[in-house]
Amino acid sequence: MILRKRKMWSAIITAGFVVITIIALFPIVSLLVASFQPASVLMRDGLTFLINPAELNLDSYVAIFSEEASQYWSWYGNSLAISAILIVLSLFFSSMVGYALSMYNFKGGKLIFVLVLFTLMIPFEILMLPLYQLMNDLNLMNTYMAVILPMIVAPIAVFFFRQYALGLPKDLMESARMDGCSEFGIFFRIMAPLMVPSFAAMAILQGLMSWNNFLWPLVVLRSSDMFTLPVGLATLLTPYGNNYELLFAGSLLTVVPIVILFLFFQRFFISGLTVGGVKG
Amino acid sequence: MEKTTEIKTKQDRLYTKPSLWSKIKTSKRIAPYVFVSPFIISFLVLFLYPMIQAFIMSFQSILPGQVTFVGLSNYERLLTPNFYTALQNTTIYVILTVIILVVIPLILATFLNSRLLKFRNLFRASLFLPALTSVIVAGVIFRMIFAESDAAVANATLEFFGFEPLEWRYGSVTAMFLMVTLASWRWMGVNVLYFLAALQNVSEELYEAADIDGATAIQKFFYVTLPSLKPVIIFVSTISIINGFRMFEESFVFWETSSPGNIGLTIVGYIYQEGISQNDLGFGAAIGVVLLLIIFIITILQLKFVGAFKDD
Amino acid sequence: MNRIYLGLAIIPALVLAACGGDGEEEDPEDTEVFGTDDGEATELTYWTFQQLHIDLFESAVDRWNEENPDDQVTLVAEVFPYDQMHNNLRLALQSGEGAPDIADIEISEFGTFLEGEPQFESMNEYVEPIFDDAVEERFEIYAQDGEYYGTPYHIGATVMYYNTEIMDEAGVDIDSIETWDDYVEAGQQVVNNTDSMMATVETEDDFGYWAMVSQQGSDFFDENGDLTLDNGINISTLQFLQDMVYEHEIAEPAPGGEHHAEEFYGYMNDGGAASVLMPMWYMGRFTDYMEDLEGKIEIRPMPTWEEGGNRTAGMGGTGTVVTNQTENPELAKGLMSEAKISEEANIALWTDLGFDPPRYSVWDSEEVLEDNQFYQFFGDDIFDLLAELTDEVEALNVTPDTASVANELNTNVFNEAIRNEGDPERALNDAAEAVRSGATD
Repeated sequence: MILRKRKMWSAIITAGFVVITIIALFPIVSLLVASFQPASVLMRDGLTFLINPAELNLDSYVAIFSEEASQYWSWYGNSLAISAILIVLSLFFSSMVGYALSMYNFKGGKLIFVLVLFTLMIPFEILMLPLYQLMNDLNLMNTYMAVILPMIVAPIAVFFFRQYALGLPKDLMESARMDGCSEFGIFFRIMAPLMVPSFAAMAILQGLMSWNNFLWPLVVLRSSDMFTLPVGLATLLTPYGNNYELLFAGSLLTVVPIVILFLFFQRFFISGLTVGGVKG
Repeated sequence: MEKTTEIKTKQDRLYTKPSLWSKIKTSKRIAPYVFVSPFIISFLVLFLYPMIQAFIMSFQSILPGQVTFVGLSNYERLLTPNFYTALQNTTIYVILTVIILVVIPLILATFLNSRLLKFRNLFRASLFLPALTSVIVAGVIFRMIFAESDAAVANATLEFFGFEPLEWRYGSVTAMFLMVTLASWRWMGVNVLYFLAALQNVSEELYEAADIDGATAIQKFFYVTLPSLKPVIIFVSTISIINGFRMFEESFVFWETSSPGNIGLTIVGYIYQEGISQNDLGFGAAIGVVLLLIIFIITILQLKFVGAFKDD
Repeated sequence: MNRIYLGLAIIPALVLAACGGDGEEEDPEDTEVFGTDDGEATELTYWTFQQLHIDLFESAVDRWNEENPDDQVTLVAEVFPYDQMHNNLRLALQSGEGAPDIADIEISEFGTFLEGEPQFESMNEYVEPIFDDAVEERFEIYAQDGEYYGTPYHIGATVMYYNTEIMDEAGVDIDSIETWDDYVEAGQQVVNNTDSMMATVETEDDFGYWAMVSQQGSDFFDENGDLTLDNGINISTLQFLQDMVYEHEIAEPAPGGEHHAEEFYGYMNDGGAASVLMPMWYMGRFTDYMEDLEGKIEIRPMPTWEEGGNRTAGMGGTGTVVTNQTENPELAKGLMSEAKISEEANIALWTDLGFDPPRYSVWDSEEVLEDNQFYQFFGDDIFDLLAELTDEVEALNVTPDTASVANELNTNVFNEAIRNEGDPERALNDAAEAVRSGATD
């Protein structure tokens, strides 16, 4: 009796999730379908249920792999490079800070943590203009550096690493010290490897953040060969552009690298997100 | 054994030649400052300095070649209908997204953690997939789905259920619906994962104890799951509030920088419109400072209310 | 530690991989370089938001280099999205660094660039000599205190485009439409006898409304730059638009909110409306996006408000400027003059872009009268009509708050009056109040 009830519940819940999943995936599937439809029809009528099979074609893909679309691929390259550099640097710096905030009792440590929380709360947008002037003074306009610099020590990542490191065994540090390990050795050789899951989780989240970042690159990137994908795609949306063929296929292809990144680190993702990890 | 001796000799050597670097390296007192130095530098240069600049600018009228101090006049000019509209839109958006993006992911995560559900990994991955799209890409899709034409997916669905088709991008209610739906669709999976991760840490023993006491599934959710998830609920809701207040792109993808009746105007959108599009940097900065105060007060209140400052 | 080294090692690999894509050294689609490339030439940069405008500079660079063998130029032209180009330019001028030599600025944005000390080079020496031969009002827009900073792309004479197929079906002779009352009457015939609307009203753009306002000698600001947004003429004009939609039921809000939206192109192309009020430069939109209408569209003057009233208004526009950050002001000004002010330039404005060129002298030139796609689409009497109308073009008063007026109109006013059937007077009063309270001075 109980077993049958369980089975019934199981079926209901699973069915519910099937519905939810369909809703979640519908827009992405729509984009896939749209990328085979003529762009001008889409811009006029939107996406319809009734799709004329005769209208489906590979034009968008032909366009995107043709010479005229070399622009698109340089946006792609820019986005890849910026995201890769940003992931590595921000993980490196943020993990150090987060680790120190949780593992050491030092004067000002609490204050710094409060400052981290504070920066976490400040919308970047209000700093945008002074930062723009700063980038200009440093002669960094229209460079990868200008895009990357303000995100390099990400407060959210610092916060996250700190939470994660709280769960690390402190006695390991003591024994490492007794073995004569320097403080940096302790971090790089002993503690950081224990934090691998959190690195994976942050790699995904920072990667996502950078890959999809829009407003700041929009402001500091000047020439179209330096644009990132979101900025470049937005230019295709403007009524003066008339490049809609690239828009749908181009949008779809932006999802690919981030999906690969996700699949690559997914194994660690859940355990990495487990704030305060390492169970006793 | 050998290893230990080797390290010891190394240490001996360090002690014989105590350079500054080695002192720093081994000092428990100095090391943390070296570790946090990247944050301190970036805080001072990329945060504190621009913040002070923004604050100063909010009292200025800034034109090419003419920067003048104008006292509080930028702040006085905030008392306009447009600012109220922006504030109202943003507040409604924050409230809706916080509710939706905390409650629903919490429930979904609980189910995803339950053995009653089959194909858990598959569902988990599918729910996360939307998070991998950028707002721009998501906006492109949503505009196609919610297009004006009667044949577009959203309107065709309404018609199927016997409702009138809507001009989604022109009504204030539907506009809010579009922005909230877009944000919820993209962020649902991320928050589900936060909760799911936290659920792994809830001790099995607590559930077993509840079972012995004869608790129902719902009782277990309210008396075991929820209290154990308190820290992550605080985290997720704080992030949602802050992200809600700084929202710009969810509106940009539907209307770019100006929307009919300002139905898509947000505070950050207003900063962009006034500060950048209309070249009124001082006024833009003043809006930013007010936004800063609002976020600050709300976050402090929220954290105080849920008692986040008590532990750690 | 290894992990981090590994990570750092990956970066160059990724960067290299990323750069492989554009290693062929093709010109990126949105950046175009013209002119000689022999190292002797001076490089100038040009920013625009409209791909089409580049063509004009391309031919100008060729002419320039031919005429000035000792002063060769290379032009790097960049196309940005509309908002981004204006914002980048503003920020660059503000900070004193990073601006191009030459840039396009759209009319409603232009005023904000004149705040403070204008960061542009004066073009008086090139502009003033041609005033006898050009519609001076179109240069006045981009001037301040007697200094002419910007050069126009067109007169922007606003006209009515009629779909003759629908008009014939409705039994209306378009030549009989002289006043707006006639237009409303004809509209009722169209609505009664066909499936089409007579007109569409833009709710997210102000070309139509501004043209109807300017046609009556009114404007959003007076010559002194004082706001007149809520004056009697402007209120009654908005009321008229509202009445077309709700009282006479001959018009509806434009699909997509404006006449530049894809939704509208599709609607118009399918015969959704019998007429559309837009400037001459809108011809290119027909030839590019509404191909089914070829041969069906005829151009007529705007209906008048009273007998003998103005039959057009100059509308829209973009001013091209030379910024003060240029290292070669004389060269940049010379090139701009070649691209925008010379007779050749004015011919190219028509033949390449389908714009009504500001200089009269080219109107009867051979090149202009030569058959092209626009004559085929709209008939061959375009310039006769233009010649009739140019005296009736009024200057527009553009101020730093023009952008803010446009923003109020396109967000609040039209939405309230046209979509929600609110009171036009109140909508305009509120907007004027908002602009005044937000005014910078």
